[in-house]
Amino acid sequence: MTTAWLAAQHGPAVQHGPEALAAAHGVPSVFGGSANVVAVVVLLLEFGMFRQALLRDQIRLYAAQSAAVSVLAVIVAAARHVPELYVLAALSAALKVVIVPLVMRRLLRGAGDDSAGSGALSLASVGWGGGVEASGGWGGGVEASGGWGGGVEASRGWGGGAGASTLLLATAAGAFGFFAVGTLGIAGVTLPQAALSLAMAVVLVAFVLMIVRRDVVSQAVGFFSLENGVSLAALVIAAHMPLILEVAFLFDLLVAVIVFGVLIRVHHGLSESLSTAGLTRLRG
Amino acid sequence: MSLPIPVIQALQVLTIAVAAPGVSGVIARVEARLQGRRGPRIGQPYFDLAKLCRKEALAPEGASWFFLAAPLVAVTCYLTVPLLIPVLTSYPLPLGYMGDILGGGFILSLASFVVAVAALETGSPYAQLGSSRAKTFAAITEPVVLFVVFTVALVTGTDLPYALAATVRSSAGQIVRPAHLLATAALFMVILYETGRIPVETHTGTNEFGMIEEARPFEHSGPYFALLKWGSTMKQLILFTILLNVFLVPWGLAATARPADVGLAIVALLGKAAGLGVVIAVIDNSFAKLRLFKITEFVAAAFLLSVLGVFTLYLGGG
Repeated sequence: MTTAWLAAQHGPAVQHGPEALAAAHGVPSVFGGSANVVAVVVLLLEFGMFRQALLRDQIRLYAAQSAAVSVLAVIVAAARHVPELYVLAALSAALKVVIVPLVMRRLLRGAGDDSAGSGALSLASVGWGGGVEASGGWGGGVEASGGWGGGVEASRGWGGGAGASTLLLATAAGAFGFFAVGTLGIAGVTLPQAALSLAMAVVLVAFVLMIVRRDVVSQAVGFFSLENGVSLAALVIAAHMPLILEVAFLFDLLVAVIVFGVLIRVHHGLSESLSTAGLTRLRG
Repeated sequence: MSLPIPVIQALQVLTIAVAAPGVSGVIARVEARLQGRRGPRIGQPYFDLAKLCRKEALAPEGASWFFLAAPLVAVTCYLTVPLLIPVLTSYPLPLGYMGDILGGGFILSLASFVVAVAALETGSPYAQLGSSRAKTFAAITEPVVLFVVFTVALVTGTDLPYALAATVRSSAGQIVRPAHLLATAALFMVILYETGRIPVETHTGTNEFGMIEEARPFEHSGPYFALLKWGSTMKQLILFTILLNVFLVPWGLAATARPADVGLAIVALLGKAAGLGVVIAVIDNSFAKLRLFKITEFVAAAFLLSVLGVFTLYLGGG
């Protein structure tokens, strides 16, 4: 390829610049590109949640992710003329950007513990939230917070290597999502295929988040963000789905919030902590 | 009336060489203003270099000829790279075919390697610590650069910087492409690392344990130290140029060989570099320095961005 390009360049076109030769094949349209960018932002925020140690900031990232999904719904509604999606975007924004984070924050305030548990693979405690969105994710007092039941937490990983290993694991899961969608060959009507791959990656990374984290709030946030990944996929494949179904899914989420809320309350009441590590000792 | 091509080629190198300390001066000035200080004048780095050139050069006992040769080799490397990248023109200049992005990367790493070896020559713990750290983290930033190059290769079908700049200029669809944005963001994070800016390193620090890049020329003095300082500002401007003229804003480059166009391109490049410098100064003032072993996380974030860029292109078809 290089030689071909060079050969083309040495012609009289040199003075006119290589604009004419710029690779034009396979360029997504501006709509497709921006939709993909929003989908990438959703995935990056998922990674941000994955690395974020402070539960409060994790919930904030979840709200941002939900906002990104709503923005994507608006973009699709405008570009593909699906007016129901405006309603859906408004509803999901109200629910997932405002109400769910509010409820979670209230629950957290009741629990009075703000730092996320260490992971099964010793997640390094302080993370760079998201990487791109200039993160203020520098939790100062993370080290100070004690009160984790059980000696399991002794292996709180401070080494960057340990933190990077979970990140690599999540990256591999995301890659598998891309690979799987590529193999299946599903093509959405409203959005480019990359958005579907990204949605799959969001779901898989959310799974890894829920597996790696050892505290109820993070697991709940992981579950809710998984739902964000699913709504992203729904936007790609089935943007023309009847509104009533979409709304039904949204209310499913509300049920999940209530269940998780009760779970967090009960668990905190029983074990005085948000960590699920202590649950192994409650057996028998 | 148009300038001969070799003159433009020489102008590319001259622009980088002459303007580089000035860009550092602008960043230092803006940073000081943001902190409410008056700050040094923009030309201060030039005065520093001139002062150092008048001083006596000393070498530690036992250091071989390599210690004194290293600054010269490094500066030579930094003067070579501007031949390969689009500094002033949107059309490729003859010597631009000597190397692609990887070639430029190799020359930059050769310079950094030579400086690191010279630091090892000295036997001074600080310089050795710096070079050891620089090489350790460079091993992590290299994959990021590689993935950025892969993204470029997948987008353009070649890895010539001129081709990518032309592709970015060609349509809005190319700009909003997630792979392009992700690669640009990853490259920006690598540049923050490579130029020793917050959140990786304090640039204006005196002795401290977190030093990486700044610790390496500790034992050099006089004109040799001046060369190293000048070289590091050149490296900064070269990396800025790659980011600006290839990835971020490849506009304002001269499309012809007319002196007016080329002159305008020089002004545009300096303006863009100053703008990027302001952004970096703002970042410098808004973040704390990462602890040393957190730098891996910073680089891991950059790695994630670049890998995702390749994924969206290669597997996702975006």
